[in-house]
Amino acid sequence: MEVIHYRELTDEEKYEHFMERIENDEKIEAGDWMPDEYRKALIKLISSHGASEIMGALPEKEWVPKAPTIDRKLSIMAKVQDEMGHGQLLLRVAEDLLKPMGKNREDLLQDLFSKKLKFHNVFHMPSPTWADAAIIAWLVDGAAILTQTMLLKTSYGPYGRALKRICQEESFHAKHGESLVLALASGTEKQKQMLQESLNRWWEPLLMFFGPKSTKDIGHSSVDINMKYKIRFKTNEELRQEFLTKYVEKIQLLGLTIPDETICFDEEKQEWIYQQPDWKKFKQVVSGNGPRSDARISLRRDSYDESEWVREALSDYKNKNQSLVG
Amino acid sequence: MGKEQFYEEYEVFSRKKDGLSLEHRFSLLAPNREMAFVMARENFFRREPIKELWVVKRSDIRLMSQEEREGFKKLDNKAYRETKGYANLPKLWKYFEEKRETGGVNP
Ligand SMILES: [Fe+2]
Ligand SMILES: [Fe+2]
Repeated sequence: MEVIHYRELTDEEKYEHFMERIENDEKIEAGDWMPDEYRKALIKLISSHGASEIMGALPEKEWVPKAPTIDRKLSIMAKVQDEMGHGQLLLRVAEDLLKPMGKNREDLLQDLFSKKLKFHNVFHMPSPTWADAAIIAWLVDGAAILTQTMLLKTSYGPYGRALKRICQEESFHAKHGESLVLALASGTEKQKQMLQESLNRWWEPLLMFFGPKSTKDIGHSSVDINMKYKIRFKTNEELRQEFLTKYVEKIQLLGLTIPDETICFDEEKQEWIYQQPDWKKFKQVVSGNGPRSDARISLRRDSYDESEWVREALSDYKNKNQSLVG
Repeated sequence: MGKEQFYEEYEVFSRKKDGLSLEHRFSLLAPNREMAFVMARENFFRREPIKELWVVKRSDIRLMSQEEREGFKKLDNKAYRETKGYANLPKLWKYFEEKRETGGVNP
């Protein structure tokens, strides 16, 4: 193999070399040359993944003070903290990609507050009962685990390394969710009913979670670009089918009814048939017009604004004591 | 208020247990070294036990460029620095063993 002298290469040659690395399953690192399209696709994916982790902690956070026992309180608190930690890891990855464009964390947060930075549809939804905390941890995290496991082999090195850590922690989230759901499903009639009502609320958002099957449904999709660069390896529909295969039977086993009379497995086609969610509603929700979008975004903004004095103080301290810190 | 230089990038390293090397964990943003240390504990070691934790300001690390990294791949023909460069030794020993068996060497 020859030594590559980047400065001597034309843009086409750089692109060709880059694609060769992708084909050879090499990992791309933050400082490497990459086509703009690749950088933009990564920024879009990873910053909204990071925002989803941070906003995803909020529906469950509402249940931390109201958890029914001290053990449940400890585990839901640990999960909420993990999700914030995932957000930290992912924002870090996104920041290194944004650096050459002169942007930083502050810009990402401002984009989140102005709804320019989108996050998953499920985290715009209300979580009115303890059963919602259960369904979120079991099924929303279950869905996220399928997506994140698929992304583990991603061509972007830093993202893959962050995901490895995230997936380890997610396996605890899944167990925590299973434990909550099993307790309610084997509880009183009232608890069972609460669980069923929560499933009814979450079923459509769960199907939406993976995104539309084809670009027709919402007008655009970055799936193809992401597959071309081996950022991801499965389509939205493949992931949704995996989700149904993994959970439909378990849900029914618990005595719950899936709120879709048409759902069945087509043996011939070897795929699940199901009622399509309302993709117009999906688009509306992820644009920041879901039932809890404004409340949660403003909660996040308030917390940012309220901690401004801490950043001010640390910044002053730093400027005055350049020799003492860092 | 000069936010551009408020946060700095730190790389986090840790040793899981005695006898193991330090391993790179991840990076984080912090306004100073002490905060970086506190955040590293909070971010990466909420459950697993560790023996040692280091944080290093990224700008203090001499990082590699892509050219350098790809150049490293070229390191080959270094067998003479490794045991595998001496794979012919058993054959040489065999020569002496055979010689003894055929009585070439005194008992
Ligand atoms: Fe997470
Ligand atoms: Fe999770």
